[in-house]
Parts: sequence; structure tokens; C-alpha cells
Amino acid sequence: MSAYLVSMATYAGFFMILALALNLQWGLTGMVNFGIAGFYALGAYTSGLLSAKAGWPLGLSIPMAIAAGFAAGGLVALLSMRLREDFLAIVTLGVGEVIRLIVLNEDQITEGPRGLRIEAQPFQSLVEPENYPLFYLCFVAVFVAITYWICERIRKAPMGRTLRAIREDDVVAGVLGKNVFRHRVQIFAIGGGFMGLAGALYAHYTQNISPEVFMPTVAMFIWMSVIVGGAGNNRGLLIGAGTVIMFLEGTRFIGDILPWLDAEIMSSVRIITIGLLLIVTLRLRPRGLLPEPKFSYTKR
Amino acid sequence: MNLQIFVNALVNAALIAPPAMAFSLLFGVLKFPNFAIGGYITIGAFAAYTFNVPLGLPLPLATIGAMAVTGFVVWLAHVWVFKPMQAQSAVTLLVVSIALTLILESVVRLFFSADVRGFDIPLERPWKFWGARITKEQVQIIACAVVLGTGLHVLLRHTRIGRAMRAVADNPMLAAIRGVDAAKITALTTILCGAIFGLTGVFAGLDLVIEPLVGWNLTIPIFAAAILGGIGSPYGAILGALLLGLAEELTILVLPSTYKIAVGFVIIAIFLLVRPQGLFGTAEIKK
Repeated sequence: MSAYLVSMATYAGFFMILALALNLQWGLTGMVNFGIAGFYALGAYTSGLLSAKAGWPLGLSIPMAIAAGFAAGGLVALLSMRLREDFLAIVTLGVGEVIRLIVLNEDQITEGPRGLRIEAQPFQSLVEPENYPLFYLCFVAVFVAITYWICERIRKAPMGRTLRAIREDDVVAGVLGKNVFRHRVQIFAIGGGFMGLAGALYAHYTQNISPEVFMPTVAMFIWMSVIVGGAGNNRGLLIGAGTVIMFLEGTRFIGDILPWLDAEIMSSVRIITIGLLLIVTLRLRPRGLLPEPKFSYTKR
Repeated sequence: MNLQIFVNALVNAALIAPPAMAFSLLFGVLKFPNFAIGGYITIGAFAAYTFNVPLGLPLPLATIGAMAVTGFVVWLAHVWVFKPMQAQSAVTLLVVSIALTLILESVVRLFFSADVRGFDIPLERPWKFWGARITKEQVQIIACAVVLGTGLHVLLRHTRIGRAMRAVADNPMLAAIRGVDAAKITALTTILCGAIFGLTGVFAGLDLVIEPLVGWNLTIPIFAAAILGGIGSPYGAILGALLLGLAEELTILVLPSTYKIAVGFVIIAIFLLVRPQGLFGTAEIKK
């Protein structure tokens, strides 16, 4: 039971990093990204392959995962220059799916549907195996805290104001002399880097990654976290990610209480509940549980 | 061999073109890419299955039933979900529509499980001509698509309701000033599109298989066809579907068939970047 809670909290950590990254891109700057699953997969496979197949130490492979996400984010941002936001949504979804298909099909490198086995875990030798899950939760929590701190800094800094201006009206921001193009590419790349980090943390946690984990539904759950929590508000979306994981994983408890319900039914009920959660939240609180605070000149 | 590619492309196009036209129509009225069409198609396929196999109705009757059921579901989704959220941004509505697809799919899975099913129709040997094969069902699909395309054309161009639908899609406020009841026309459009998605569900069940993911797997090809032809241009959608079908069949010659879904995405990306208005759409005037 407590082991279960620890694993749930760890997953919530991955989701929180992804949600914070999406909030940088969409909540703050107004750039749509539905390819989250692809960036997540890119991070997981970069670090996983480098450590499992090339024998790199984790101190190098995890930063490489961040770099891969960063580079991919920068490239995708170039698309966002020309596309309307709803079309960008379809294209980024496509980017994510293409990454998944490549992982699935190039199985001589990625092991495809068989799944890639990764032995290496951070600080493996220093921690007792029975305490390791709890240690890893703390390890992830540190990264969530760092990500949160960086995102908050960006939001409060003068750059955050520029980003919000770009979100509200990029033409006006451009007329005011802000380099809209550079800001967009930067933020998309930073967001991509965080998503790569989340992927690497996930890969070394489960130690077995396969393409079916990185379905577009992952992107869906992160979007729900941000929308339910309140786009633009970093604290709100931590709550959002927690809520989504609670509905997603917590409903597994019902399976323990009512064992006669089979897994197929349980997973359907889980998806239905989480979809309804989004729709009900938007009907009752259109701007999320904790909406973005209105900007004020008099207090910070 | 070569002829077979064209036959397959034609069947694909007949499957994709009607929902792509419906998607275009819906986009015109609701102004966001509605991913819920995947769920609607799944509902159509399973409604037809229920009428056809457990209830034992002949397939044509089951098809009409499925179209009615799907039309009703799409109208319900409009009234309960999308209409009250009109003030939300297009992206939020897009997320909601994906959530709706997941819900509909899961409801179907709840009642029918994820097993693969088929309609109660006799298996027949495919017809052969000049080395290409085509089944009776595929011929029916193509015939239905042609009839449906013509019907939609007549409806949109030559009837009062069709004119009103185009007017509301073009400029709802102007349409309202001219005395068009926009709310009623929007509701009618959703029901019409719902019926078409229901029919697509039946086609998909005939040509592919009936399973909860059947609609999701068709969503991207449908988007690709609609964008290729120029979103908001129902006729472009037909040509878009033909080109997409051809592109997909040609890719199979060089790449593993699992990459097929990527073709749709790549076509979407290229077209949106190079010619966002599609083949036949008119360029949008940005403020």
C-alpha cells in the first residue's frame, strides 16, 4: 500500500515536470504542443540507449536527454512561426506520433515493442534496494522543485512579461521591439528540454521502456493537468497534475476493493472518469481550479 | 499489381472523403478541429453492429439506424459539451474533443470489450479484373460515397438549408442579420455530419474491422484529406482523400506499412507550411 503511494507520487512527479514545461510553452507563451509524448519518448530513449547500449554514465546520458529535448523543441518551434494554433496542434501531435513510430519500427536499435531494458539507476550503489523507491521519489522531487523554481523565475522576470505579451498579441509585442521569433524558439526549446528530463527520469525509474507508453494519450493527460489546474499558474498545474494522477492511478484501488471487476472494465471506467473530470471542471470553473492571477503593477 | 494500387487508393478515398467533407462542414460552423470525430465513427460502427448482429436486422436497415444513433450522439455532444464552452479558446475545445473521443471509445469498450468484430454478411470471393481484386463491399462503399458526395453538393448549392449552412459557416453574424436562425442551422449541421460519421463507421466496419480504435485510426487521414483539399472546402476534401489514398498506397511500396499513419501527418505538415489554404481553399485574410 505505502509502496503503491510512493510509486504514484513518483509518477505525479514526472507529470508535474511535463505540465510545468507545457505551461511554459502554452500557458505563458501561447504556443501549442501536442507532441509531449514524443519529447517524453525522446528523453527516455536518448538516456536509455546511451546508458544501456553505449555504456555512458548517467551523469552524461541524462544531460544528453535534456539536450535532445531542447534541440527538438527548437526545431518544432520553427514550425510554430507559420501555423495557426489549432493547426500547430495537429502538426505537433504528428511529430509525437512519428517519433513513436520510429521507436516502434527501428527495433534493431530501440528493441521496438519488446521494450528496452535499462539497468543503470542513479546512485544505485549508495542506497539499500528496499529504500530505493523512496529515495527515487526524493530524487524526482528535487528535479520538480528545480523545474518549478526556473519556471517561476521566467514567469516573474521581465522575460515573463514579454512572453505574456506574445501570448496575448504577437504583433503588438513585435511592434514594441520584442524579438518574438527568438523568444518563441527559446521557450519551446527550454520546455522541450524539461520534457526530455522527465523522459530520462521515467526511463531510469521503470528500467523498461517500450513505445506503447508514449501514446498521444500522455499528451492528453498533461493538457488536462494544465487546463484543470489553471493555465498560466504554475502552482495550479502542480495541483492539476496531482489530481489527474490521482484519478488515473488512484482508481486502481477500486480494483483492490472490488476484485470482481476485470481490468478491461476498470481501465475504461478510469478513462471515462478522467475525461468527465476535464469537461465538468471546464463547465464549472472555465479558467481552471487556480486561475492565472491578474497582473498588477502595485504588488508582486 | 499497379492497378491494385489505384483500386486500393480509390477504396481508401471513398472511405475518407465523406467524413472529410463532414469534418470540413463542422469546422466551418464550430471553428476548431474536432478530434471527437474518431469517437463518433466508433459509435457508428458499434451501433450498426448492434443492430446487425445481436438484433439481426439486415445491414441496410442497421446502417440507417447507426446514422440516426450517431446523429443523435453528435447533437447531444454539441448541446452538452461544446455549446456551453463556446467562449473557450480553440485549443481548449480541441483538448475537450480529444477527451470526448476517449470517453466514447471507453464507453464502447465497457459494453463490447476490445475484441475485433465483423458484420453478419456472407463472405464472398473478391471480383478480379486485369489482375486487380475488389470485394463487393468495396464497390458498395465507392457507390455510396459517390451518391453521398453528389447529395451533399446538391444540398449545399441548391437548397435553402444548404445556403443557410454556408452562410452561418462564413459569417454567423451577417447570417443572423439576414434572418437565418444560426443556432438551428448549427444544430442541423451537427446532426447531418453525425449521420455521415455514422455511415463512415459502417464503411469502416465493412472494409476494416469493428473495434473501439477504428475511429481514432481514421481521424488523422480524415484531417489530412480535409487540410489537403483546403479546410472549409467540401469539394477539395474529395480530391484530398484521393491524393491521400494514393500517397498512402505508394508509401507501402517503400516503407513498412506501420508507417502509413505518418504519411498523413507529413502531408498535413507540408501543406500547412507551404500552402495553408489547401488546394482549393481561399487564403484567410489576417487582421
